[in-house]
Amino acid sequence: MNPLIFTTILMTVLLGTMIVMMSSHWLMIWIGFEMNLLAIIPILMKKYNPRTMEASTKYFLTQATASMLLMMAIIINLMHSGQWTITKVFNPTASIIMTSALAMKLGLTPFHFWVPEVTQGISLTSGLILLTWQKLAPMSILYQISPSINLNILLTMAVLSILVGGWGGLNQTQLRKIMAYSSIAHMGWMTAVLAYNPTLTMLNMLIYIMMTLTMFMLFIHSSSTTTLSLSHTWNKTPLTTTLILITLLSMGGLPPLSGFMPKWMIIQELTKNSSIILPTLMAIMALLNLYFYMRLTYSTSLTMFPSTNNMKMKWQFETKRITLLPPLIVMSSLLLPLTPMLSILD
Amino acid sequence: MMTYIVFILSVIFVVSFVGFSSKPSPIYGGLVLIVSGGVGCGIIMNFGGSFLGLMVFLIYLGGMLVVFGYTTAMATEQYPEVWVSNTTVMGVFLLGLLMEVMLVLYVLKSEEVGVVFEFSGVGDWAIYDTGDSGVFSEEIMGVAALYSYGAWVVIVTGWSLLVGVLVILEVTRGD
Repeated sequence: MNPLIFTTILMTVLLGTMIVMMSSHWLMIWIGFEMNLLAIIPILMKKYNPRTMEASTKYFLTQATASMLLMMAIIINLMHSGQWTITKVFNPTASIIMTSALAMKLGLTPFHFWVPEVTQGISLTSGLILLTWQKLAPMSILYQISPSINLNILLTMAVLSILVGGWGGLNQTQLRKIMAYSSIAHMGWMTAVLAYNPTLTMLNMLIYIMMTLTMFMLFIHSSSTTTLSLSHTWNKTPLTTTLILITLLSMGGLPPLSGFMPKWMIIQELTKNSSIILPTLMAIMALLNLYFYMRLTYSTSLTMFPSTNNMKMKWQFETKRITLLPPLIVMSSLLLPLTPMLSILD
Repeated sequence: MMTYIVFILSVIFVVSFVGFSSKPSPIYGGLVLIVSGGVGCGIIMNFGGSFLGLMVFLIYLGGMLVVFGYTTAMATEQYPEVWVSNTTVMGVFLLGLLMEVMLVLYVLKSEEVGVVFEFSGVGDWAIYDTGDSGVFSEEIMGVAALYSYGAWVVIVTGWSLLVGVLVILEVTRGD
């Protein structure tokens, strides 16, 4: 793409999300969502093959439907409250419709079907933008309307998302689909605690973005999109093999790494609110996630994955420069001792 | 009839929406869109929005739909699908029509309708008094306010339109 056009379109994606996060008028928020959607379509379609076009079309259709539902919820809210400012949503019908619309934008169950298909059809860098930056805008709106969200619907969607994210990722060997299911599961964790302590939602979002960013950067660095091709990184850069191990275990939520912090805080917050079965179920279903991360580490860092003999040595292309990889790796694995600092957030 | 004009126009509005949502070929969808645009203009005018109604006719029907009609005419097939040519399209159209008829009967029978939310007639949207000073219309003042207090909206929508054009050119470029 022409660099000037590419910069303009990327800046418009950023501008769209910024408008959503900064506006106090519901109409401007809707405009921000539409601007974001419109501008990300050519980024998803960077290569012109039928798979990217199909993925972009699917993304556009689902997100446009979600925007329409959001507009309907905004109008019902206007009808019942007579004003356009973003505070809590004043009508239960409007609240339910708005929650469904934002769940469609985030990829929560039962609206999760587009996430693996769209993520698989696009390039790794576009998938990175899709799974990290695009989650910021809907999550910020959920944060702002969190006092008025129907708890039954929210918790059902959250628990089902964790289940689907774990279970659906079990049979995958394509890395982009694995990351998509991991995103579904993490969104489930984030929305589970939204009604109890929205700060933890933001914490989880921050750490999830860092870990996903790290994983995608490592995949881009080794140009691998399948488990088989990832398992050859020991040959090219043995250091990234170890880093893949650490980051994947952090995503699974294992204790000395920073991925444990959000899960720990969320389970603590839920038990403080006297719900015990729910966090138990969530923690058990997170094991499914951990299983396929560990399978990935097993085939990548811990064993020499079986492959044909002519594939064992990876072709030594010029090494891609990856922005900010060392700080990201440090942040996605070593942040756990900073947990007491969360007390300043309230 | 004049007291029920909004109701009648709304029914025609919904029926024409059903007409194009049942997905005949785009040319016929555009035809029905003209009808729905005109009827929508009538509804808005009945609430006192004469400027907005004229906007619908001028910009929506006379600008956007004309361009749509021209591009569809360039890309259409030899025998485009009508509502009666395809069983699926006719089935969906009849289903939508049936649901609208049932809703209209429900509205006519009972005082209040509670399908998704409560609706009981025009309510406090009915205009008894024009409410403006009589010197200038409030609607046009809204347009003026768009360019003074609402400058940010103008900037954002203008930028969206520019990026829309860039995106469309980028997507249809091909290689």
